[in-house]
Amino acid sequence: MRDIIDVLTSRKSIRRYKPDPVPEEMVDNILEAARWAPTGENYQPWRFIVIRDQETRDKIGDLSKLGSGKRMTAWYCMGIMQKRFEKIEDPAKRARVLRFMYSGEVSEFCKQAPVIIAVIGDLNVGSVDVPYDLCAAAENILLEAHSLGLGACWVHGPVAATRDATKFKEILDIPTGMNEYKVICYIAIGWPKEQRKHPRPKYPLKDLVFWEKFGNKERPKHG
Amino acid sequence: MDKTAYFNDLLARTEELFYHELSDCAAWKTEYIGIDFIQSQPITGETPGQIIESCIRTMSDAGLIKNASYSIGGREILLYLKIQGCIHIPKEEKLKKGGIKPYNCPIVNMILDQLIEKLNFATTYVADLDVEDDKGECTVKAAIFETADKVGNVCDWSDECHLIDENDQWTTVTC
Repeated sequence: MRDIIDVLTSRKSIRRYKPDPVPEEMVDNILEAARWAPTGENYQPWRFIVIRDQETRDKIGDLSKLGSGKRMTAWYCMGIMQKRFEKIEDPAKRARVLRFMYSGEVSEFCKQAPVIIAVIGDLNVGSVDVPYDLCAAAENILLEAHSLGLGACWVHGPVAATRDATKFKEILDIPTGMNEYKVICYIAIGWPKEQRKHPRPKYPLKDLVFWEKFGNKERPKHG
Repeated sequence: MDKTAYFNDLLARTEELFYHELSDCAAWKTEYIGIDFIQSQPITGETPGQIIESCIRTMSDAGLIKNASYSIGGREILLYLKIQGCIHIPKEEKLKKGGIKPYNCPIVNMILDQLIEKLNFATTYVADLDVEDDKGECTVKAAIFETADKVGNVCDWSDECHLIDENDQWTTVTC
């Protein structure tokens, strides 16, 4: 079986897209990948809404901008954002990046993505693992999009706060009852406009892994 | 039986579990907690100040808080609140003892809900909740956005709060 580590390690979140359309067959492949995600007791609670309509994407983009912008404006006012980006040495560049963040423009990019896929779950189907199943499906979407040469980004911000999630459901005519559908995220997909730089640095395994028991960093010798 | 203590214990346990599931994102999910009460009350006002005062009076009359002071600053998006004698302080204490920073204030949820419901505010966000259980007081900083284009109106809130405190720009509502 082919090792998929190259696909995993070369993927990064892409937020800038060319206007070129994403062919239907590719969308089908992505959805096919999503439905093969692991799911508790094979309940498959996921449902996917594929959105190409510009007006709908604009509404979602505006909601995303508001969702991220409100938080980041407050975080900037509290000094949190400045700390987060203090490693950017050039003050002009830092100010530009910060403005991009607190204005909410950072989350507006789905307006330019030719396709977005909303990942939602039926809470009355497989009610034990719905959020986890949906995350697994979202990951499969990202990986398949990347393996097809597309760029994609998992967006959670606009559906993170309860009121915003309700607005998101209203845009897409998803029933808004708290007992009906869970929106976990949407994924923006398109042909990458930005350079695929090497993925952001990751912590080395030695900082992440314990052996046999929590806290034990010494790898036991076997065999 | 102390019913308030009982219900605060229930809330604290629920919030502890919720935090364990969602980490800091739990705070973003709890904005509806408390709104059933305030939505059942005749809150009136045509300005943010009037709505906030109407909410505070209503909550005070109902025995949920003793009193509260507020100030709006920071380019009109900072709502700075000091709440005294809230019945939920034991819940917050319990969370703090368990190492969780309090993140869900039903009192501020009610005020923000009414700014949205009655004045059609675009959005709001609870930025900071500081509970001083020894003083029986909570200090809240919330961002309130009357319109979407107010997002991005930044300034330094520590300066703003300092000015409000120093110049005593508080409106205190007591009943």
